[in-house]
Amino acid sequence: MANNDDATYEPAADAEDVGVTEHVPATVTQKSLNADILRMLERPGKIWWGVFLLDLTILAIAMVAERNQIVRGIGVAGHTRPVMWASYVANFVFWVGIAHCGTLVSAILFLFRAHFRRAVYRVAEAMTVFGVMTAGLFPIIHLGRPWFPYWLIPYPNQRGLWPNFRSPLEWDVFAVTTYLTVSSIFFIVGIIPDAAVQRDAAKNRFHRLLGTIFSFGWRGANYQWKHYYGAYLYFAAFATPLVLSVHSVVSWDFAMAQIPGWHSTIFAPYFVAGAIFSGVALVINLLIIIRKGYRLEHIVTVDHIEKLSKLVLLTSTIVGYSYLCEFFCAWYGPSVYERDMFWWRFTGHFWWASWIMFICNVILPLTLWFKSVRRNLTVLFVLMLFVNVGMWFERFVIIVTSLAHPFNPANWGINYRMSWTEASILAGSFAWFGMYFLLFIRLLPAISIAEVKETLPPPLRRKHG
Amino acid sequence: MKLPKPILDLVDMINAGPRAKHRGVMGVFYYVDDVTEAVRALRQTGHRDLRVYSPVPYHDIERALEQGQSIVRWVTLGGALLGMTGGFALCIYSVLSWPLVVGGKELVSLPPFVIIGYESMILLGSLANLFGMLALTRLPEIKVSAPYDPRFTEDRIGVWVPCAGEAAVKVQEMLRGHGAEEVALHA
Repeated sequence: MANNDDATYEPAADAEDVGVTEHVPATVTQKSLNADILRMLERPGKIWWGVFLLDLTILAIAMVAERNQIVRGIGVAGHTRPVMWASYVANFVFWVGIAHCGTLVSAILFLFRAHFRRAVYRVAEAMTVFGVMTAGLFPIIHLGRPWFPYWLIPYPNQRGLWPNFRSPLEWDVFAVTTYLTVSSIFFIVGIIPDAAVQRDAAKNRFHRLLGTIFSFGWRGANYQWKHYYGAYLYFAAFATPLVLSVHSVVSWDFAMAQIPGWHSTIFAPYFVAGAIFSGVALVINLLIIIRKGYRLEHIVTVDHIEKLSKLVLLTSTIVGYSYLCEFFCAWYGPSVYERDMFWWRFTGHFWWASWIMFICNVILPLTLWFKSVRRNLTVLFVLMLFVNVGMWFERFVIIVTSLAHPFNPANWGINYRMSWTEASILAGSFAWFGMYFLLFIRLLPAISIAEVKETLPPPLRRKHG
Repeated sequence: MKLPKPILDLVDMINAGPRAKHRGVMGVFYYVDDVTEAVRALRQTGHRDLRVYSPVPYHDIERALEQGQSIVRWVTLGGALLGMTGGFALCIYSVLSWPLVVGGKELVSLPPFVIIGYESMILLGSLANLFGMLALTRLPEIKVSAPYDPRFTEDRIGVWVPCAGEAAVKVQEMLRGHGAEEVALHA
């Protein structure tokens, strides 16, 4: 957004060649930028339609599976005592984690004045909103009676009952709904000036209608910019502690319980780092596809992607440290149950899941120390896919192995196997997310026009004569 | 996608705005430093209610307009304080209205209530920030308060000076003298 420092508008000495922020080439002008971004809204091609139809097919299969679960009961999922939380809760944590990247990129990097965020933050914000919308489905799917989720909301009722505000599950309701609301507001407010561009320059009237709705009548007047940026700073200031709190609260769903493998004070920072890790990985995947598909390599440059991959490397080291710290605490601490749990995690029935988690999240990202890997988009794309596979398995390992190996040895049987219903709903969650994302990139500017424009050298007569 | 004609007509009507009578001069500029100089000169001659339209905010122009800080932060603070007190109040009221001891904990257990208070503070603070911003930026704007040109979201800057009569003639000269590409009189 606006530079609130006292920088002048004289472009840097090398701006002729590389642009003010050294990310956007000097060949990009304010006019060409409008045209390049609005080109994304033109009539979709065959590839888009193919992907969209495949996406809807997978979603339809998941809806049949969900219908099956509603009609026949939650027993069609693979939950078996004592593993009564499994893939649905893992999916919930995974998607909330994915949703964290948007706020990181749009709010935290905004407060730190990291200008590379300008070209990539809209995609990350959209991912946040759609990620929370996906995550929010899973507690409802897992309820067994999905028509009663409103019982979690505190409202006056004739029985005088209130939810238990001392329960981490109730904290989750407040954290996730606040996150959905605030991230949606942040997303829509960010779109306002770009929707005005769409309204003024879109080629067809349908896109002009969308621009009219989402721009709220924005004209770019001086008093509008002043209050807009005044408010944007506070949105960022609120969203930053919010993003840290949301995954902390999600981690306390586990850490507050006295289950070996869950009851740990490091869970909050460990979960937040993991969330950013997986979220940034997915945003890199999406950006690589978008920049290639819409020929936006000059706007979303390799520099942008490389900077994001450094964030992946940073958070990977935090996640790796957390894994090792958990092991150390189990080995060094007084609890034999904890020690046994962690040994069993990597050598017991689910050893394969634990090793997938460790290799994908700790070992493979070490290759990001090499600049050649960070700038090779094909390798990076595959690597980021592995990161997200690893992060899904992290949630699976934390939830399922801790429940499958409880205090009582009589319960140490092999007692969880994912059912086809759960697998279909997991695939459907990706389709649900993908459906919103595919529609979004066709309907509204997926790259922030106003913010990228701010990085271009301003037109000055004293420079051009 | 083909939309029904009445909807399309409505969109056109909203974008065009009501037929308001604007009296003043609109100058269209390309260079930022030209606008800055023009704004300074206009303000020196007593035209203080200027309006500048631009595709991005330019701080040089903001300084020339002598804009203060936005007051939206006070609205935001009010919302945040209301949210925090409301969050705590909801928890305390609910446990006192149905006193049920859970897990041997105190009825009014403040540490867990901090989370509800914290999240409510952020929620209401953000909503207040949103509504404060919309009110101060006068959005959604249905009635267009000055002539507008779609190029202002592309790469041109507009300076609107409300004036009439002889003053308008002088303003037109002044805008041209400061490098305006186009100057239009609205009388």
